[in-house]
Amino acid sequence: MVKSEKPLLEWPPEGITRTPYRVMSDPEIYRWEQERIFRGPVWNYLCLEAEIPGPGSFRTTYIGDTPVIVTRDKEGAIHALVNRCAHKGAMLCLEAGGKRQSFTCVYHAWTYDLAGRLTGVAFQHGVNGKGGMPAEFDLAEHGLERLRCESFQGLIFGTFSTAVEPLESYLGPSMTSQIRRVFHKPVEVLGYHHQVMHNNWKLYMENSRDAYHATILHAFFTTFKLNRLTMDGGLTLERGGWHSLNYSKGATLREGSYEGTGIRSVIEDIGLADPSLLERRQEFDDGVTVLIQSIFPTCVHQQIYNTLALRQVVPQGPGRAELHWTLFGYKDDDPALRSMRLKQSNLIGPAGFVSMEDGAIGEYVQRGIAGAGMDASAVIEMGGREIASTTGSRATEATIRGFWTGYRSLMGL
Amino acid sequence: MDIRVIEALHTRYIRAIDDDQLEDWPGLFTENCLYKVVTRENFEQGLPLAVMECRSRGMLQDRVTGYRRINVFEPQRYSHQISGLTVESLDERTVKCRSNYLVVRTVVDGAMSLFSAGIYLDKVVIEPDGALFEERIVIPDSRRIETLLVLPL
Repeated sequence: MVKSEKPLLEWPPEGITRTPYRVMSDPEIYRWEQERIFRGPVWNYLCLEAEIPGPGSFRTTYIGDTPVIVTRDKEGAIHALVNRCAHKGAMLCLEAGGKRQSFTCVYHAWTYDLAGRLTGVAFQHGVNGKGGMPAEFDLAEHGLERLRCESFQGLIFGTFSTAVEPLESYLGPSMTSQIRRVFHKPVEVLGYHHQVMHNNWKLYMENSRDAYHATILHAFFTTFKLNRLTMDGGLTLERGGWHSLNYSKGATLREGSYEGTGIRSVIEDIGLADPSLLERRQEFDDGVTVLIQSIFPTCVHQQIYNTLALRQVVPQGPGRAELHWTLFGYKDDDPALRSMRLKQSNLIGPAGFVSMEDGAIGEYVQRGIAGAGMDASAVIEMGGREIASTTGSRATEATIRGFWTGYRSLMGL
Repeated sequence: MDIRVIEALHTRYIRAIDDDQLEDWPGLFTENCLYKVVTRENFEQGLPLAVMECRSRGMLQDRVTGYRRINVFEPQRYSHQISGLTVESLDERTVKCRSNYLVVRTVVDGAMSLFSAGIYLDKVVIEPDGALFEERIVIPDSRRIETLLVLPL
């Protein structure tokens, strides 16, 4: 744990309705986050079990700055390991995924099995009786750093913490029921997107929870009535706001409220030349057509019509983050449904009619707050000071206050 | 087959995008065309997900509408460089082409970046008054998109 004589910053006296801009740009705060959040008592989404289907399959990812490998061993057990050779620290595996029997560091050929145990060191006993490692060198003491790792309904999470509660209780009942709702049968990965954003990782996490912006910034949502605040919907908070759900039911749209407001996102004189883009199938019997689940710290799980995806934010320094999208369908999708999912994927990702804006808006903030004073902060008062679930109105920033509640408690701010 | 017909199509394509005449872009494709941007990462693994996928000329027009009227992004221009064109006839009126592309993106404050490099895999139909794309698969080498993709590659 990083020791600090004085707090890194004074949180504004208004408390949870303010966020100091400095947390988005200060390198010292970023270093602290690595310790207190990413190596702290949180569960980090790593990958899907479907991506490591058989013995020897692996995927690589990150927890904060730390490179991680997730493997499935010969017995089928899943391991999460730091992707860093125990000898000199070289990254062991550069590929995104694949199949291996073992991992050998290219630098000095230290070799690890799928559980991260060191099984061999080149020239351990020297050459011609000279050199080599000391006689007492014990391979068992030099394995890869192991993470705690748990899987829930096929989603694999890892943590550096020995103290954090088991995954299912960390997620809480409303988050686990949403994961069960989608992961109720085997899934199949349809592909990946990787989107570089020149903004702090927390700006994206705020954005993913922000029901207030969704129908204002994203004109496609509003114009084509995919999502409006005048639909039945709600916000569900869990674990005191650390996690959240934002959902809406397309069939319950009430007209009005947007028209005549002058909000840019209501464009009344346009249509689609090929409206087949918005053909959809009701896959879930709860009528929910758009749902964004945000799991602290960096995981987002989404359903927009028939597009299903996990998004993981990988911080890459205070002013940069990479968003990894994993799109999936079900193994038993019929060809028409599969084709529909792929067509609708025009809505999401870095070129998504709906979501492309989220790649830009964080950058606008990051650039806007440059040069702000030490005390300058964002105002988060929509819906008052509450951090509570709501049904009906979603004109609130309660979910964002929830994120900062989790953040402050871990950071001691 | 005269390769200059294909080169002329490429030139019209570049002009439409790089000269901010995006309304001309859908007209370079057949009615039932396919235009797809698939990263090499997905393409090589046989994963079907595209960054952008238009299955009709109408969907191309909707991308133009998105660019002009709906989406929010930093004003930007592309400069396309195309090289290494190869052409192979499939039948009387259809040819398969491959070329390399490089796109430099310049945004409103002047920042320039090598935004995308990769290949085009095309199926082109030769009509009496010129050539049209029946299919254009764009395969960027990088799996990353910087910020967002609003103009087609």
